[in-house]
Amino acid sequence: MAGSRHRVTMRVNGSEHSVDVDSRELLTDVIRHRLGLTGTHVGCEHGACGACTVVLDGSLVRACLVFGVQADGADITTIEAFGNSASTLHPVQQAFWDEHGVQCGYCTPGMVLTTVKLLEENPDPSEEEIRAALSGNVCRCTGYVFIVEAVKAAAARLREGQDPRAEVAP
Amino acid sequence: MTETALTVTETAQPKLFGARVRRREDPRFLTGRGRFVDDIELPRMVHAAFVRSPFAHADVTAVRTEAATTTSGVHLVLTGADAAARARPIVCDSTIEGWQSTQYPAIAAERVLFSGQAVALVVADDRYLAEDAVELVDVEYSPRPVLSSVKKAIAPDAAPLHDGWGDNMFIKRHFVGGDVEGAFASAHGTLTLELTNHRHSGIPLETRGCIADWDPAEELLTLYTASQTPHLVRTGLADVLGLPESRIRVVAPDVGGGFGIKGHLFPEEIACCLASMAVGRPVKWIEDRVEHMLACVHAREHYHTIEVAYEADGTVTGLRALVHVDCGAYSVYPWTATMDTGMVLGILPGPYRIANYECRAYSVATNKCPLGPYRGVGRPAGCFSIERAMDEVAHALGMDPFEVRRRNLVRPDEFPYTSVTGLVYDSGSFLESLDLVIEDGGYAEMRRLQAEARAEGRLLGIGFACYTEQTAHTTNEFIKRGVPIIFGYDSAIVRMDPSGDVIVQVSSHNHGQGHETTFAQIVADELGVPMESVRICFGDTAQTPYGHGTFASRSAVLAGGACVRAASRVRDMLIRFAAEVMEANPDDLEVGDGKVFVKGSPSASTDIADLARWAYHRPEKLPAQMESTLEAVASYDADPGSGTFANAAHLCLVEVDPDTGGVTLLRYHVVEDCGEMINPLVVDGQVHGGVAQGIGGALMEEFVYDDEGQLLSTTFLDYLLPGTTDIPSIGVSHLCTPSPFTLRGIKGMGEGGSIAPGPALASAVADALSPLGHVFVNELPLTPERVKAFARAAREAGAAAAAGAAAGAAAAGTPRSEAP
Amino acid sequence: MKPPPFDYVKPGSLDECLDLLSTRPEESKILSGGQSLVPLMNLRLARPQVLIDVNGLAELTGERRLDGVLELGALERHAALATSPTVRAATPLLAEAAALIGYPAIRNRGTLGGSIAHADPAAELPCACVALGADVVVRSSAGQRTVAADDFFVGHFTTSLEPDEMVTAVRLPATKPGEGSAFEEFVRKTGDFAVAAAAVRLAVSGGRIHRARVALAGVAGRPVRAPLAEEALTGEVPSEELFSRVGAGIASEIGDGGGADGEGFRAGVAGVLVSRALAKAARRAIEEGADGR
Repeated sequence: MAGSRHRVTMRVNGSEHSVDVDSRELLTDVIRHRLGLTGTHVGCEHGACGACTVVLDGSLVRACLVFGVQADGADITTIEAFGNSASTLHPVQQAFWDEHGVQCGYCTPGMVLTTVKLLEENPDPSEEEIRAALSGNVCRCTGYVFIVEAVKAAAARLREGQDPRAEVAP
Repeated sequence: MTETALTVTETAQPKLFGARVRRREDPRFLTGRGRFVDDIELPRMVHAAFVRSPFAHADVTAVRTEAATTTSGVHLVLTGADAAARARPIVCDSTIEGWQSTQYPAIAAERVLFSGQAVALVVADDRYLAEDAVELVDVEYSPRPVLSSVKKAIAPDAAPLHDGWGDNMFIKRHFVGGDVEGAFASAHGTLTLELTNHRHSGIPLETRGCIADWDPAEELLTLYTASQTPHLVRTGLADVLGLPESRIRVVAPDVGGGFGIKGHLFPEEIACCLASMAVGRPVKWIEDRVEHMLACVHAREHYHTIEVAYEADGTVTGLRALVHVDCGAYSVYPWTATMDTGMVLGILPGPYRIANYECRAYSVATNKCPLGPYRGVGRPAGCFSIERAMDEVAHALGMDPFEVRRRNLVRPDEFPYTSVTGLVYDSGSFLESLDLVIEDGGYAEMRRLQAEARAEGRLLGIGFACYTEQTAHTTNEFIKRGVPIIFGYDSAIVRMDPSGDVIVQVSSHNHGQGHETTFAQIVADELGVPMESVRICFGDTAQTPYGHGTFASRSAVLAGGACVRAASRVRDMLIRFAAEVMEANPDDLEVGDGKVFVKGSPSASTDIADLARWAYHRPEKLPAQMESTLEAVASYDADPGSGTFANAAHLCLVEVDPDTGGVTLLRYHVVEDCGEMINPLVVDGQVHGGVAQGIGGALMEEFVYDDEGQLLSTTFLDYLLPGTTDIPSIGVSHLCTPSPFTLRGIKGMGEGGSIAPGPALASAVADALSPLGHVFVNELPLTPERVKAFARAAREAGAAAAAGAAAGAAAAGTPRSEAP
Repeated sequence: MKPPPFDYVKPGSLDECLDLLSTRPEESKILSGGQSLVPLMNLRLARPQVLIDVNGLAELTGERRLDGVLELGALERHAALATSPTVRAATPLLAEAAALIGYPAIRNRGTLGGSIAHADPAAELPCACVALGADVVVRSSAGQRTVAADDFFVGHFTTSLEPDEMVTAVRLPATKPGEGSAFEEFVRKTGDFAVAAAAVRLAVSGGRIHRARVALAGVAGRPVRAPLAEEALTGEVPSEELFSRVGAGIASEIGDGGGADGEGFRAGVAGVLVSRALAKAARRAIEEGADGR
C-alpha cells in the first residue's frame, strides 16, 4: 500500500505522546482513536463546522485539516486539558453550564476552546466580537443565544480574577 | 390498558417544578466526556464504508467485488444480493386506503432509486482502508430515466418508479369539511396562491453512526446507534432480520442532535448488522458528511396551491389546498411517507376559525433521498401557506395584517375548539400571544426604525407569524394518521435503592432536551427527595421499558408523565411502609425534604433513606404482603390522545439589500405558550434552537438536485448552516395556558420554534420591499437570487401600479398622484 | 471522508523542497495551510501521491520592504496579513481582503502562497493581488521568475505554475499618498465563499482620479480586471454618481447583469460591490492625500 509511515511525538495537554502514524491519518483520528481523547469531535471533515477545533502551537485550528504527521513536535490543547469534573471546571466551562449554553454537547468542546482563546486575546469582547470569533463554530441546538451569554459571563468571571489556569488532565 | 387520567399528586412542596435548574448532564459535555457512538471502541472491531450509487435511477447489472475482497485489510464485501438473502427490506405501510407500498432494501440489489443509495458494504481494518476498497468495487449500472421532481413524477406519461404502482403517488389524501363551494361562491373576494418550501433537513452536527455486534455464541445482537428511538429501531430490526426482539439490544448513547432525522430505522444499520453476523466481529460505521447529505433523511419539500375565500371585513370563510410533498424514493420507518401530507392536511387552517376547508394532499415518489419528519414536519409548510395567505388577504383589503389575524383567530371563550379537521385545540392564547409579541417584541420601535431607514434609502421590513402546534399526541391521533405502529405512550421504571437514591429508566431518548434534569425535577418532587439523588437513564433497550423515544414534542408530557406515574406508585409504597412504622394512617402522611411526615406535624417523620434501607435489608419491618422492591413501572398516554396544543407568535425585523438580495435578520422575538414549564431554561433553549433552524430553512438551507437527480449540495460549502452572525439574540416571552389534562398542565414545545420563522421572514421581506411595490414572497429559502428577483418584481408591480394610477387620474381629469 | 494514501515529506530547506518537487512534479503537491487542499483530499477530489510540507521553511516567511514594494513570504498566514501593521500600512487592500477569509481558525492556518496557488475564482487574495498589480515570485529547482498577477491566474483552480514550480513570495506595490483602496464582497453568510467580490485601488490627485484598478472575483474562472470601468474612472472627479454609473456598467462589461440567476446574478452583484468599493476607496484616497502621508 502506498503511503509513508512516521513516528511522531507531540505534546498533548502537557503530556508527551509518541505514535506511529500513516501519513494520511488526520489529526482528529490520531487524537480521538490513537490517543483515546474523544472530546474533540468530528462534524464534517472539510473544515466548515468547528467541531474538531483544537489549539495547535498556540492557535485555534481545525484538526480535521491537519495530518497527524504534521503535529510532530507540536503542542496541542484539547478540551481534556480543562476541568474534568463538575467541581473543577474552568470559568469558561462553568459559564457555559450556568447560562445553559449546552444542549446535545457535540459542538461544546470546540465552543469552549474557541472561547478560551478569544478571552485570552480579548478579555472584554463586545457581543459583535464574540459572534465574529465564534462564527466558525456551528451549533444546531441552541441558536447561539445562551452560548453568547455564556461567553459574556465567562469574560466577566475571568476579569474578576477567577483562576483561568487550565487543569491539566493526567 | 393504560389508565386514561393522570392523577397528579399535590405534594406538599413541589419546589423543583418550574425552576430554572442548571442541567445535570452538562459536566460530561463540558469536559469532553460525552459518550457518542464514535467514542465507543469494542474489542476486535472493524470498520465499514458503503459503495454508493452515482446514479439517481438505474438497474444494477453487475457488482464485482474481487479486487476489493482480495485487498489486504478487507474482511468482507456485502452486496445487495447478499443482503436480500439475509434480511427483508424495510417496509412501512400506511393503513390509509390507496396507499402504495415500497420495499427499501438494506443494500440495493437490482435497482437504485436515488443518487447515494448504498449498493455494497465494505468492511476493513479501518475506515481509510474501507474507503480505498470502496473504490475497488466495480459496479455496472444501466441508467434509467430520472424523475427528479414532483412535476416530472406526476406528469401523465411518467413511468411509475415502483413495481406494481399505477402512478408515483405513495398516497393521495382528500379532506372536505363544511361547505367549501358555498363559501367560495359567496365570498367578497378570493385569492389563488402558490407557495414552495424547498428541500432541507435537520443536519445534526453529529452524523449517523452505529456499531453492530453479533455474538454468535449467545445469538444476541447488540446495536449501538445514534438514534432518538432505540426501541423502534429494535422492533424494526427484529422485523427485517427475522430475529425475536428478545435477541436484540439497541443502545443509543449520547446523540449529537437528532431533530427527528435520527428517529428512523436505517438501511445502513441493517447492513452493519448483517456484516457483523458475517464476520463475527463488531462492525462500526460512522457516516461521513457527504453520505449524510446524500442518504440520510431529507425533509420539508412542499408545493402548495392555496385558494382562500374572504369577506370584506377580513374574515376568511373558505380554504382550499392542493399539496404535493416530494417524498423521495422510499417510505421511511416507522413514519411512512404520509407524515408531511397527513399533518398539513390537518393543520393547514392553523389557529383560525375556518369552517369550510378542502385539502388534497399527495405524497409523491421521486428519485431522491427519502423524506422524513424533521422538527415541525408538515407544520412549517402549513404555517407558511396560511400565514402568507392571511397577509395577502390583508393586502387585498388594505387592512392591517394583525387585524386580519384578530378577525380569524380562535378566541379564548371558544376553547376547547374543534377544528374543521377534527383537531381539538384544547386551550391556548392565540390572540393574547399576538398582542404580547407586538408589545414585547417592540413593534412600535421597529416601525420607527423602519421609517428612519427609509428616509436614508434603506429597506427595513417587519414580519410576523403565529401558529398552534399539536404536541404530545398519542393513540387516537396516530390511529387517524394511519401509521403502522401507534406511538401511544411512553414508559418509565422508577426504582429506589437501599440508600434511598432513585434510578429512573425511561423510554424517551434525551439528545439535548435536558431530560436528565427535567425528569429528575419532577420525580424528586413526586417522591419528596433531593434532586441530586435522582438519576435518569435512557437509551438502552436492555435497561429501559418499551416506549417510543423522543420526537413530536412529546417527552415532557408523555415520558415525564410516565415518570411521575411510576414515582407516585413508589411514593405510595413509601407511605404505606411509613404508616406501618409510624403507626399512622396513610392518609395523614406526605413526602418532602427526604422524609415521610405527618401532615401538619413535620417533626413526626421517618427518613426515606431509612425506609429504603429497611425495605431491602430489614424486610421484617415491612407490612404484611408488601414486597421488598421499591420499584414501579408505568406507561402514560395523555388522554384524550389527540394531543395538547401549544401556540406562539413570532415577530422579526430584517434589512433587505435589493441590489444584492442579501437579507440581514436584525431582531427576533417569540411569545411562547406551552402551558406550565418544568424548567423554563430548557424551554427557552428549545425555542432558540427551533427558531435558529427555522431561520436556516427560511434564509439559506436547501438541498439542490439537478435534472439528473444528482445532489449538488453535498458539503457545507454548498449547504449553508446559520452561524453566530446570522442569528440575532432571540427574545422570548412566555404566556401560560395550562393543558387541562396533562401533568401539571404542561404542553410539548420542542418543535415549535421552527414553525414560524419561514412566514415571519417572508412577510418581513415583503414589507421591506413594499415601498418599491407589492410582491408575494412565496418561496423558501430566501436566497439572494430569489430576493433580488422579488425586488425586481416589486419594482415592476410598483411601476405598473403607478402607471395605472396615473392613467386613472388622467382619465378622471385629476392631477397625477405620487406613486405609492 | 478519508484521504487516499500519499507519501509525506518535510524538507529542511527551500532548495531541498524544490529538488523534491522536481523529482515527481506531476504527482506532488505543496502542503502549506491545507485549508483548501486538505478538504479536497478528504473528499478524494485531489489525489497527490506526494505531499511536500513547507510549513516551517523560514525562507518562505517574512515581510520585506524594498523600495516601494512589499514582499511577503508565501507562508504568511491570512491572520497575520489581516493584523500586521506593516501590511495594513503598505498594502491595506491585502489586509482588508485577508480579514474576510473564512473563519478565524481558517485564517490561522491558510497562507498567501497557498491561496494564490489554489486559485479559487471566488477567493479574496487572488483578487486583491490582481487589483494591486502584484508580482508572484515563482521558483523551481531550475531557477526563479516573476509573473504578473494578471497573467498568473489562468482559469478555475489553474495558474501558470509549471508542475515543478512553487510560489515563494508575492511582491506588492506599496500604497502611496493620495491612494485609497477598498475590498467589498458579498457572501451568503459569514465565512462563506464570496458570491462576488470587488477589489479597487484609486489614486487621486488634484481632485481627480488619475489611476484606477478594478478587479473582480467570483464572476469568471479567475479574477478579472474591468478595463472599461477603469477607463471610465480615469480623469474623472470622484462622485457618488460616477461610482453608481461605473458599477452599473460592470454588469454589461463582464456579462449580463439583468438576470437574477447564475452568472447574471453574480455580475449584477459585482457591479453593486464595485460602486461601494469605489466610494470607500475614494474616501480613503482623499483622506490619505489630505494627511499628506
